[in-house]
Amino acid sequence: MSEKKHMGMKAKTRLSNTIIYIILTVMSIVWLFPFFCIVCESFRVESTHQVGYVLPKQWGFDNYINLFTKTDFPVWFKNTFLIALFVAVIQTVIVLCMSYTLSRLRFKSRKGLMNVMLILGMFPGFLSMIVLYKVLNGMGLTGPNSIPGLILVYVGSSGMGYYVSKGYFDTIPRSLDEAARVDGANRLQVLTKVMLPLCKPIVIYTILTAFMGPWGDFMFAKYIAHASSAGMTVAVGLQSMIGTPSALTANYTMFCAGGVVVAVPITILFMSLQKYYVEGVTGGAVKG
Amino acid sequence: MARVKLTDVKKIYDKNVVAVHDFNLDIADKEFVVFVGPSGCGKSTTLRMIAGLEEISEGTVEIDGVVVNDLQPKDRNIAMVFQNYALYPHLSVFENMAFPLRLQKMNNDEIYRRVTEAAEILCITEYLNRKPRALSGGQRQRVAIGRAMVRDSKVFLMDEPLSNLDAKLRNQMRAEIILLRQKIDTTFIYVTHDQTEAMTLGDRIVIMKDGYIQQVGTPDEVFDMPANLFVAEFIGAPKMNTFPTKLVREGNEYFVTPFGSKIKVDGAKGVDLSAKNVKSRDIILGVRPEHIVLADEKRDDTIECTVQVNEMMGSELHLHVLTKDGTQIIVRVPTINLTHQQRDEMVNGHKIYITFEGKVMHFFDPESTNNLL
Repeated sequence: MSEKKHMGMKAKTRLSNTIIYIILTVMSIVWLFPFFCIVCESFRVESTHQVGYVLPKQWGFDNYINLFTKTDFPVWFKNTFLIALFVAVIQTVIVLCMSYTLSRLRFKSRKGLMNVMLILGMFPGFLSMIVLYKVLNGMGLTGPNSIPGLILVYVGSSGMGYYVSKGYFDTIPRSLDEAARVDGANRLQVLTKVMLPLCKPIVIYTILTAFMGPWGDFMFAKYIAHASSAGMTVAVGLQSMIGTPSALTANYTMFCAGGVVVAVPITILFMSLQKYYVEGVTGGAVKG
Repeated sequence: MARVKLTDVKKIYDKNVVAVHDFNLDIADKEFVVFVGPSGCGKSTTLRMIAGLEEISEGTVEIDGVVVNDLQPKDRNIAMVFQNYALYPHLSVFENMAFPLRLQKMNNDEIYRRVTEAAEILCITEYLNRKPRALSGGQRQRVAIGRAMVRDSKVFLMDEPLSNLDAKLRNQMRAEIILLRQKIDTTFIYVTHDQTEAMTLGDRIVIMKDGYIQQVGTPDEVFDMPANLFVAEFIGAPKMNTFPTKLVREGNEYFVTPFGSKIKVDGAKGVDLSAKNVKSRDIILGVRPEHIVLADEKRDDTIECTVQVNEMMGSELHLHVLTKDGTQIIVRVPTINLTHQQRDEMVNGHKIYITFEGKVMHFFDPESTNNLL
């Protein structure tokens, strides 16, 4: 009797697992199909415009070769990479310091500051675009010199992105800080020697989001670089390749190749960091 | 090794909640002082002010003659063991213990020597390469103590270090702390809510309630001569029996008259009462359960009671008995003097006569609750 019941449980589990996997498979196909199309398009050599089928009739690397030899893509790529690198470093430092401060230190108007940032964060960033352009233009950081300008723009508001990491910091027991301070650590050492090793997942998350931002941003990058190809990022550059109907016809497959190349650094970074993306590093710190 | 002096120390939260009132205490070099009291009495807050983890609202804390109010914890040269261990989970046991030494930039050989030495004393050598999560509660607390031991700190602070351990382990660790103290011989300040820990560990005990010091004294002093009713009831287990009654003076002799009996105050207590010229008056009488004796028959100095609950503790019985007017009294009876028949008789509803040891009774003022002596 009980064995029968047991078997019934097993069959039920199997059935529900099957349903879950079917749903997940369908969802993955829906998600991955556009990416698959783009990859296929980038290898298509028989025509350069959009076509009504997915798999290319003729495969080849022509689009990639043209992308690197006939366009400014290497410049855009280098620009974006530089920006992403600087932003990743600076933004991570600022966000982590900010989160630590708001999580651990108690000072007057701490709550007020957090509320102000919350409200400010509700306004869309591009509200400040015209003002920022005027300021950057006055500093000579637009057009071909837009890279430092863009770094400033992206880094400028990074302190406001503290929510997620502050939430994570809040879960680390305070007695660990206190123990470290009694053991002879100053605040910076508490952050670097105790908090950050324990918050590895959130540090990685912060680096990844900071690095990925500039690759996808179009509005600010376009506005600040305007027509200067030397100051463009990949998003702006690729868009300029297909900006007109005739350009779209002539460059569409090359545009797709650009899209694939852009995904490479982010994918590499993500895959190399994801092993640190683990939970459960705090076990055994304190009773509870 | 250092002297710690607290002068008029106050802790005020949010401008109006006073957690610690005018705390004055002078802790001698190498002394072991225990702060004890119920939760919320301010004992941990006081310890944290000494550690530098809480700001001192008023007054001064001195360590070795230096006022440390404005010093960071790292500059006070103290070591602290926390109730919840507070081990660094990403570091091995060795690195946990080496942490304060690495911050001092000590050389590796010396770090190795000190950590292995401490590990040996604490019997955790075989766990040095493990992470804290792979240790049991008792082992974790040893690591936490080890981390505090490896430094030559002036003061050793312990904030309820045994509270998270089970009863058996707690007894064992308590004995080990006594041994540890003999080995490292420094100034200890220990916080606990457990009066047994306070009595067994402390050279002096500071009993606190609602942010006020109730009494400071050696274990003997607070046990034999509690300053007030709170201390009397807090120290000792089971707690002291207290009930309102009258103190009667007849010439130079004193009697108490609980529940219609008349019991003579003997020994030093009687002498002290007459030296202080205490008149007949209302009092709250305090009698510890172990100072109550069973009588064979009804006499003037006995009280008739019925047994309500009999707790067999092995070497003694804890009898919860009711007087005729329904007051509950707890009596500790050593089983060694009882026959089997007597033991078996002590069941619910059994009638017994009890009397109090005349020389160890305590007399408290009903209004101020202070000890009359």
